[in-house]
Amino acid sequence: MASSFTLTSLNPCLSFRSISNGEINSTKKIMIKMSMITPSSKDGTRSKAMKFKGTQMREKKLTEMIEQKVVEANQVCGEDETSDECKVAWDEVEEISQAKADLRLKLEKLQQDPLESFCQENPETDECRIYED
Amino acid sequence: MAVSTVYTVLSLNSACSISKPNKTHLGFNQKQLVFFKKTTTITTTRRATTVITCSAGDTVVIGLAADSGCGKSTFMRRLTSVFGGAAEPPKGGNPDSNTLISDTTTVICLDDYHSLDRTGRKEKGVTALDPRANNFDLMYEQVKAIKNGVAVEKPIYNHVTGLIDPPELIKPPKIFVIEGLHPMYDARVRELLDFSIYLDISNEVKFAWKIQRDMAERGHSLESIKASIEARKPDFDAYIDPQKQYADAVIEVLPTQLIPDDNEGKVLRVRLIMKEGVKYFNPVYLFDEGSTISWIPCGRKLTCSYPGIKFSYGPETYFGHEVSVLEMDGQFDRLDELIYVESHLSNISTKFYGEVTQQMLKHADFPGSNNGTGLFQTIVGLKIRDLYEQIVASKTGAPLEATKA
Repeated sequence: MASSFTLTSLNPCLSFRSISNGEINSTKKIMIKMSMITPSSKDGTRSKAMKFKGTQMREKKLTEMIEQKVVEANQVCGEDETSDECKVAWDEVEEISQAKADLRLKLEKLQQDPLESFCQENPETDECRIYED
Repeated sequence: MAVSTVYTVLSLNSACSISKPNKTHLGFNQKQLVFFKKTTTITTTRRATTVITCSAGDTVVIGLAADSGCGKSTFMRRLTSVFGGAAEPPKGGNPDSNTLISDTTTVICLDDYHSLDRTGRKEKGVTALDPRANNFDLMYEQVKAIKNGVAVEKPIYNHVTGLIDPPELIKPPKIFVIEGLHPMYDARVRELLDFSIYLDISNEVKFAWKIQRDMAERGHSLESIKASIEARKPDFDAYIDPQKQYADAVIEVLPTQLIPDDNEGKVLRVRLIMKEGVKYFNPVYLFDEGSTISWIPCGRKLTCSYPGIKFSYGPETYFGHEVSVLEMDGQFDRLDELIYVESHLSNISTKFYGEVTQQMLKHADFPGSNNGTGLFQTIVGLKIRDLYEQIVASKTGAPLEATKA
């Protein structure tokens, strides 16, 4: 799976001056410098913290869902940008993106698999099989 | 250990909860009564132990309003760290639980009170930000119960599946934090809060943070990130943003003013807006309480690297309330900058010199550790500890008053 931090390939621009209240200008003016972004952990670090099959499955599922829901949102909003359906579609994208980010944070910053304590009590479940890269 | 025989307990004070521990550990805590019951059945004599815990309702409830999800890690971990101990998800329970528990603190995510799951919201055309997707009656009942010392079975909203999972037991802790989109939306819940905080991130900073968060995801692009923020904005402005007028403290995060035409978004300007006249809460100040100060610590005694650090402090009005605002623009590059700043702040409720610095260093790898976000989150944590101690002191003081009279 692609590393979460393939940021070396990015060079979008972010200009605060041109961002007025609520409006975000054309993407050509958006720029982010590398220094702003939290230093990436190497893939090795992440695999070390990920211990159980269940976590790997969750991560995979969330990644797929993000892709899928972004496509859906673009579709729905293409029909009517101001509709409730459009709002809800992007809200779902936000929810899943945040869930994925929370998982990533636990694995990378806290260096623990979220299923750790659950698997101590239930080692026989499918989710608690040891994950091997 | 005192042993006495009790025959019937008809009704218990609502402040008590009954639990049957699997192991009889009999660790004594002055608030626990251990009931030892003998039952005789036809074939065996079984002894059952029931523990009744009456916590005398000394739970302090804190509300935290924030947009980006729960277990919002940074702020919560700083807060629980101030009280000591690390916050962990409940052991052995639902692995997708949003709850964090430490020795003194329990943090719950208000998404757990969604009345509509993801499918339900899609059907009704309602976002999670919309009050119609949330069960405020249940939220109020359960927060009230916890505050009165009664444990509750709280639902779990699973962010991965989008479903509402079977409930988990939440026992009343010393500090109970309710975190999410609507802690101050419902007036009844607001009344239960001993202290409330609103994390107000400006649009520019929010955009930058979300790019940081999502840009590496396969499905995302700048356009999708931008579209998501814009689509949620109407509901956010209508339902979430107005809560900031009720907050006792608002942490406002803005782009820096120190760098002309800054377009990096790396340096932040953070304002800690503190309401005046809140019980048990004495706003932090710089040099002279109630006056207006502008302070640049960098100079002869302290050397800072570009762009430096700038503080300001002064009284203001916020949504019709008197407030004191402490503002920091810039970032810390060295430990001595941090300790220097800490030594000039007053009313920070530290227990020893350097406590703020120590707390910041403990979580040096968390975002915001070198700027006002980390600094003010840590200070707010200390103020909450101070508030808690004052509340507890006032409660234990009361019975003495009664006996004197």
